[in-house]
Amino acid sequence: MNWDLIIFYYLAIVMIFSSVFAIFSRHPIYTVLLVLIMIIHQAFLLLTLGAEFLTVVQLIVYAGAILVLFLFVVYLINLRKETKRNIFIKKISIVALVFLLLSAILIKNLFIFLSLSPSFKAYLPFNLEEKPNVWWIANYLFRNYLLQFEIIGVILLVAIFGACFLIRKVKIVEEK
Amino acid sequence: MPSLGHYIILAIILFLIGLFGFLTRRNLIIILISIEIMLNGLIVLFAAISHFTKDISGYIIVFFIIAMAAAEAAIGLSLVVLIYRRLRTIYSDEIIHFKG
Repeated sequence: MNWDLIIFYYLAIVMIFSSVFAIFSRHPIYTVLLVLIMIIHQAFLLLTLGAEFLTVVQLIVYAGAILVLFLFVVYLINLRKETKRNIFIKKISIVALVFLLLSAILIKNLFIFLSLSPSFKAYLPFNLEEKPNVWWIANYLFRNYLLQFEIIGVILLVAIFGACFLIRKVKIVEEK
Repeated sequence: MPSLGHYIILAIILFLIGLFGFLTRRNLIIILISIEIMLNGLIVLFAAISHFTKDISGYIIVFFIIAMAAAEAAIGLSLVVLIYRRLRTIYSDEIIHFKG
């Protein structure tokens, strides 16, 4: 039995179907929960790629922080009356044309890329090197990518300030 | 064993699903979630390329993508709450505040 391929196909099929149902579901709460399923499966897909640190980061940050933020906003905005209408926009033919054009460009580039580099070989997960994955990531992150790491910290700080500023300004407007 | 082509095809399928949702849905929250699905496709792509070329830079780009997604979700959701408090709707074709 080829367990690597079976695990990959299970994770891939669950990810694709949960994201499709998330796009086509009517209420936003189902969308958030289906995307949660997709993100947990994607974390284990990263585990099969030998990135156990990124698995933990994905579970904590995406499933623990970002989707809870989405869930809070879905609960904050009560849309129970308005979910019976059409979920897609009206001019869907123009949008479908744009989507087909973009997907044709992407798939053409995919075939070009696959014809260029067919020689990569997979190796077994979980026993990559003698050093663990966290050692490599920390070593590269704090030596080669230190400036980018600081910039990401500044971007997160600016995002916090921006979110607080936007919400505070609305309260002042409503008090008038 | 899955090859690099499997992972790239999975990443492109996820990216196209997110793109379809981003272009066609009306609800602003689901548009933001579609952006998250597109970013997840990019995460699969970078991690797979980093794994198969035995270069650690792709993992670090994945780390940065997750941090950027957190910042983008915070700003986007605060904008959605702002739009809902001002206009009492979060559907993208009902926002006609800037018309004319």
